[in-house]
Amino acid sequence: MTRRDFSERDIHMALDGELPVEERVAYDAWLEANPEMKARSVRYVADRAALRAAFAGVLDEPVPARLKKIVLDEAPVETAASSSRWWRAAAAAAMLAIGGVGGYVAGIDHLGLEDPAEDQLAEQAIAAHVLYAAEQRHAVEVPASDKDHLQTWLSNRVGLKLVAPDLAAQGFQLVGGRLLPAGESKAAMLLYEDANGERISLFVTAESAEKTKGTYGSEEDGPEAIYWLDKGYGCAVVGSLPRAQLTAVAKSAYSQLIAGLAS
Amino acid sequence: MDEKKAAILGEIPRLRRYARSLLRDRDSADDLVQDCLERALVRLDNWQTGESPRRWLFTIMHHLFIDQMRKVNRRGEAAMLPLEAREAQAAPAEQVESIASREIIDALQAISPDRRAALVMVAIEGFSYAEAANILGVPAGTLMSRIARGRDELRGLLDDAARRRAIRIVEK
Repeated sequence: MTRRDFSERDIHMALDGELPVEERVAYDAWLEANPEMKARSVRYVADRAALRAAFAGVLDEPVPARLKKIVLDEAPVETAASSSRWWRAAAAAAMLAIGGVGGYVAGIDHLGLEDPAEDQLAEQAIAAHVLYAAEQRHAVEVPASDKDHLQTWLSNRVGLKLVAPDLAAQGFQLVGGRLLPAGESKAAMLLYEDANGERISLFVTAESAEKTKGTYGSEEDGPEAIYWLDKGYGCAVVGSLPRAQLTAVAKSAYSQLIAGLAS
Repeated sequence: MDEKKAAILGEIPRLRRYARSLLRDRDSADDLVQDCLERALVRLDNWQTGESPRRWLFTIMHHLFIDQMRKVNRRGEAAMLPLEAREAQAAPAEQVESIASREIIDALQAISPDRRAALVMVAIEGFSYAEAANILGVPAGTLMSRIARGRDELRGLLDDAARRRAIRIVEK
């Protein structure tokens, strides 16, 4: 029998039960002769024990009824990824882990049967943006020069205390606003423009019962919406800006809108 | 109830554990299991007699997980809304975890999804390299390097966490 050289790779194999039985004795001898490798092995064994312990309790949890029901029900639901909400959390968790700052990502394709409220909001906001931001002369109903009237009028019609955020720090000036239908109710759209003519819009409705937030893009290269919904209002910031820039605008708009609603 | 359904029911606890290790949050993990079960039931005919229900179900769930992670990645960097960071980060109250468990769960979430899946599959779920490679749809060599890198990364993250904890204790 030829004695082969062992390496760190063998530590993993030994740990995972993949080291051939006949090599085991030689491997153990190698480990004893290499304190550094031995320490590595001991550490990996401990980490694995901690990993197993951390998730051991899951097996003892009662199986949620909703999961049992899927298997026991006679007719399977013919959907592709119908309940897919989990991956938003996955994305959020991934981003939290990487950025350490926090954030939320929502993806593009929803194959579910019904659109969740936030997707409807985001889609309406994007549709409005695509239609009106492209208009040069008729983009808004009330121009920014009449800002006080614009705020009062939209507040009354939408049913929210609406303050048009000041986005000058992000390089955007208010162009004006318009009133739009949004499902069963109404929405206010505020249009902003920067020095290069790049436009973004804010879409606000008073109709929402769900508390959620995320980003939404309907097409690969189309504009994106960053939205948040809470009891009593829903808002989306739409634009084709780079994500970081759109996010900065959204954050500013968010805090100002919230402050305005509470004032 | 037919045998296939009984076998699927029996695998739910294992599927939930795998999902939990991939996603951390209990509800999200159960949503992933739900998607997996729905897809499995629609494709019941694809399940060949003799094939292990565990391997079949894990394969379905892994595809769902990886597909979505790739879509998320394609969309690039996440929108950062720090206002809401604490809220998103907070683990559900019912998840009582020891410090050690929390640290290792956090560390596991921080390694790349591919490595996380490979490591969990072997280290927690106890699949052999051959089985895990088959479920994940990668060559055995790729699986091995993911496991090795995953373990190494996890070790580094745990060391960082321990260091931070030590600093906090010193500061008190």
